Amino acid sequence: MDTLNEIRAQQTRRAFLGRSTLGLGAIALGSLAHADERPRNAIGGLTGLPHFAPKAKRVIYLFQSGGPAQMDLFDYKPHLAERFGEEVPKSVYPDERKTTMTSGQKSFPVAPSTMKFSRHGQSGIWLSEPQRHLAEVIDDVCVIKSMHTEAINHDPAATLFQTGSVIAGRPSMGSWVGYGLGSENANLPAFVALTSNGTAKAGQPLYDRLWGAGFLPGRFQGVKFRGQGDPILDLYNPAGVTREQRRRMLDSLSRLNNRQADRFNDPAIATRIAQYELAFRMQMSVPELIEVQNESKSVLDMYGPQATRVGTYAYNCLLARRLAERGVRFIQLYHRGWDAHGNTPKQISSQCRDTDQPTAALLRDLKQRGMLDDTLVVWGGEFGRTIYCQGKLTNKIYGRDHHPNCFSYWMAGGGVRGGMTYGETDDYSVNVAENPVHVHDLQATIMHQLGVDHERLTYRYQGRDYRLTDVHGKVVKDILI
Amino acid sequence: MRMTVLLLVLLVMNSGTDTQSAEIDFARDIRPLLSDACYNCHGPDAKAREGDLRLDDRKAARNSNVLTSGEMLQRLTSNDPDVRMPPPDSSRVLRPTDRDKLVQWLKAGAAWPEDDRHWAFVPPRRSTIPEVQQREWLRNGVDPFVLSRLERAGRSPSPEADSVALLRRVTFDLTGLPPTLDELDTFLADSSPNAYESAVDRLLNSPNYGEHMALDWMEASRYADTDGYQNDRLRYMWVWRDWLIRSLNDNKSFDRFVIEQMAGDLLPDRNFHTQVATGFNRNHRINSEGGSIPDEWIVEYVADRVETMGTMFLGLTMTCSRCHDHKYDPIEQKDFYRLFAFFNNIAEAGLGPNNGNSPPFIKVPKNWPYLSAGEAKFVVPEPPRIKIQQVSVPRPQSGGADTVMVLHELQKPRNTYLLQRGQYDRPEKSELLRPATPPVLGAWNKSWPRNRLGLARWLMSPKHPLTARVTINRIWQHHFGMGLVKTSENFGVQGDLPSHPALLDWLATEFIRSGWNVKAMHRLIVTSATYRQSSIAPPATHESDVENRLLGRGPRKRLSPYEIRDASLRSAGLLVGRMGGPSVKPYMPPGIWRSISNASYKQDKGDKLYRRSLYTYWRRTVPPPSMMIFNAAARETCIVRTDQTTTPLQALTLMNNVAFVEAARMLAARMMKQEGSLSPRSRVAWGFRLVTSREPNAGELDLLLSDLAAYQQEFRRQPKSAGTLLAVGEMAFDPTLNTIDLAAYALVANTILNLDESITQN
Repeated sequence: MDTLNEIRAQQTRRAFLGRSTLGLGAIALGSLAHADERPRNAIGGLTGLPHFAPKAKRVIYLFQSGGPAQMDLFDYKPHLAERFGEEVPKSVYPDERKTTMTSGQKSFPVAPSTMKFSRHGQSGIWLSEPQRHLAEVIDDVCVIKSMHTEAINHDPAATLFQTGSVIAGRPSMGSWVGYGLGSENANLPAFVALTSNGTAKAGQPLYDRLWGAGFLPGRFQGVKFRGQGDPILDLYNPAGVTREQRRRMLDSLSRLNNRQADRFNDPAIATRIAQYELAFRMQMSVPELIEVQNESKSVLDMYGPQATRVGTYAYNCLLARRLAERGVRFIQLYHRGWDAHGNTPKQISSQCRDTDQPTAALLRDLKQRGMLDDTLVVWGGEFGRTIYCQGKLTNKIYGRDHHPNCFSYWMAGGGVRGGMTYGETDDYSVNVAENPVHVHDLQATIMHQLGVDHERLTYRYQGRDYRLTDVHGKVVKDILI
Repeated sequence: MRMTVLLLVLLVMNSGTDTQSAEIDFARDIRPLLSDACYNCHGPDAKAREGDLRLDDRKAARNSNVLTSGEMLQRLTSNDPDVRMPPPDSSRVLRPTDRDKLVQWLKAGAAWPEDDRHWAFVPPRRSTIPEVQQREWLRNGVDPFVLSRLERAGRSPSPEADSVALLRRVTFDLTGLPPTLDELDTFLADSSPNAYESAVDRLLNSPNYGEHMALDWMEASRYADTDGYQNDRLRYMWVWRDWLIRSLNDNKSFDRFVIEQMAGDLLPDRNFHTQVATGFNRNHRINSEGGSIPDEWIVEYVADRVETMGTMFLGLTMTCSRCHDHKYDPIEQKDFYRLFAFFNNIAEAGLGPNNGNSPPFIKVPKNWPYLSAGEAKFVVPEPPRIKIQQVSVPRPQSGGADTVMVLHELQKPRNTYLLQRGQYDRPEKSELLRPATPPVLGAWNKSWPRNRLGLARWLMSPKHPLTARVTINRIWQHHFGMGLVKTSENFGVQGDLPSHPALLDWLATEFIRSGWNVKAMHRLIVTSATYRQSSIAPPATHESDVENRLLGRGPRKRLSPYEIRDASLRSAGLLVGRMGGPSVKPYMPPGIWRSISNASYKQDKGDKLYRRSLYTYWRRTVPPPSMMIFNAAARETCIVRTDQTTTPLQALTLMNNVAFVEAARMLAARMMKQEGSLSPRSRVAWGFRLVTSREPNAGELDLLLSDLAAYQQEFRRQPKSAGTLLAVGEMAFDPTLNTIDLAAYALVANTILNLDESITQN
């Protein structure tokens, strides 16, 4: 891993290489119309950043939308089997933290997980059966069992994870990262968002704000790759128009725009010319990027049968690795379908069928390429699920409602210790018993691994210096190498 | 003496003020520094205060003695990290020049006048018109303020923009559309001294004026066609949007315009129309996610109203005071909840319905807006009918497509308490809070009722320090791309100082004096010599004043996303002028909603593809991408200022998006069909002028014509490609035209539509 001085020296060296090597953010900087912009280095990051030598150069965040059930995946509670059907004590689960979908239930019976758990790897971490691929790489993974949040509804909870606030309008984590650290690739955005549906076909909706730039300048918003039509909106020339014709058109456009620039002396025109050139380069770089079928058979096999199917989680995992290789700094995946109110065991199993193999393949693939050390992979959703049953309880079927007080996340690579678990929950998997990790703590830790002090990366908006973690957040040092 | 000179230079450079003064002005020069560097720990927020020291309050600060005892001086100048302020390990930064300024102020005796109110909290007084030298340049009351500032900086204004640039600029600014060729020719041929003023009057009277001006208000009012949370269910609010357009076109006086929106249900002369106006305060998002706790969300809606009012009329960030006393402005947490109490009496439901309007709503007669006398009467909305769905999800009966959401008071108001940390379940029940306005923002007239109507009258009182300033500043921002107060959303202590304070106050008082005449204010600004300047400036001028804060040149700004699309539709001859009605669903990328939600987008057909962009269906969680790419406000919360960054995605949209490609090939057809324009040269020149408003020069035409020839050659070799390109979009191409030529012209038109000049007002 580079030291801080080397990184800064690199950034300065790049300044001499001229425009063509500049990142997306850097070129946009040419638009000097906004004087409130802080000084930036050659790759479009803020000068003075990173604050310290980073452990991770990039982040791949595998967001599991809907709220995976922690006790059916990581938070193993074997003794609860004996309490099947007993009421969860009010002292453990007070009424006011229940959603109105279940708060009217007459009874809150314990629904122990029907999943089979076993220990894996040298670390002996407990995992439920549907995660057998993850089990093979578990020694690279740090499982956090003590996550907690305040929000109990999907929209505010997901918004909190992605932007640090339940209130709409704040910048997403990826846009903060792009704003602070700039881009390592001249031809791709610094922040990419990918979405997928699995067997469930539907799930909790996602919102553009989750990868939005909020009050940061618009160019820092995540660029969404699409599962249908052009991979990036309007990337391809209209049918019937060749690349040569587009080149001719751009040459004329640039000459005509340059005449304007000479007349008005407005640097914004030069920026626009540069952005058209970048768009033209993206028309090459993105199709090359998404040609996943060019991967070796062994790699494709590793990600499973859906690896080449656009819009699947497997495809997005593979694409994430390819984006990471090309220097994209923040790669945000969203996979829908974890909102298991009804038949939770069945839904968890089918979600795992869609995601377990590609997730493990991503970790293995990164490791094989020597990239896991400096790529931080984060896995988790917006909250957990209740131990009490939603709806009718049988010994095979149970439902689970939203649960904010404790849930599981995991991280791997990027300077996080593998093969460990962190934090504990109480006997019912209802409350954190030890080492709580709040959403803001997780965010602080992710930023820390990127070399960013979350308290010092701020942006002034409406007269106040805002940051990702609001006024909270503590780096979880115990899980770091 | 030397110090004074230095200070004078500093002041002129940094504070951007238009009043001549070498003296340190506490409110202007010192408090912003104290606020930024010190108030976090020594400001209005009692809970966050350190060392029992507050520097926001004159009496407390002077009593503490730190100003005169030398302690503060020492704290500012010491290098000992334990002594130095702000603490080196804090995130507060005090620039060396600002530190020097504070030191000078302390050394000079720390003058702190008795009336130390922040400038924006002192009601505007009519400014005296400054003396200037270049008097022949002046056109109206705006100009002396601008010129005197320029003259002091040793600069001159730019010459007047040429007629073409000027008509294009003002046509976009007032109607959101480019001038037609007829309008251009008429204007160029009009040699009367009032040609420009006549054009301005024509534009102000165009119905397109109301459509265009509605957009700023819609963005600020977070107007949308869906609820905005989770499944983002649909709602019907276009009737309010149409009320807005009509009110703007009728030039309803701004005070009446605001009062109707704030309290149209409480007015003595209330009627159906004033009731529709109150939809303004229902445009906030509504949560319909199953499992939500209704009480929690009612608090969110009420808070959103306070925050929106704060940003739009007061230019203050009320959000801060929701959880604690404001860190910078003298707005206590209790002040927030006293304002909250005005809005906490609505007969509404916490959880939204699954699609449709949430109560209270009223039924809209079929022939809206043309109502009979009977129909135009005030209607009492039905009280919400709550149904329990699923296990215990309490949803209201929704209003259908023939309703619109309005405000309506509860019979018995909800009790309002301070909410600790802003949380709905932590009321401070020891004190019931009554509706009241923050004392620092001016007095309450006892004749006003203590309800929203009184609140609206307070806002629009001629003595109010903020409403007129904040509004005229946004009008200025509309025309110049930047307000006189750059932070148009924040006039508080942490906001930017006005570049021309005297001009701002003159305009604010003029606005009130005109009877809150909005069109008159637009007219005043666009007929000023300041506005009429050319935006062409030598590089040195650009570098010395990147943001044009001195207003030494005319505004140059990229068109808004709405203008960009509307202008290309207009050039293509596709724009459908029909006004109002339900929102429409033009082209969107495939799977736009389906890919991330449980709804799917059903694109409209025919005319609805070509309506003006303000009518485009706005789904809050997945807003139209081609608008967002050009920095539209997201419509989730109140936004009064958006940035204008340039990205490659914008280039991709203009080059390849179906709407813009279709526009290019339809423009090509128009070029080919021009009567009498038989040569390619005259055809291309006609299209160029249609889009950019000016004649291309020979070099530009040569370039485009050589492209045209090359494209013709290529399509002749690949005739199928020509047909494919001409099939983009739903409008069929004219079969009487030669497809090879048409495709080639389409690419030339695509080039023209992508010019920087085509999406810019010069």
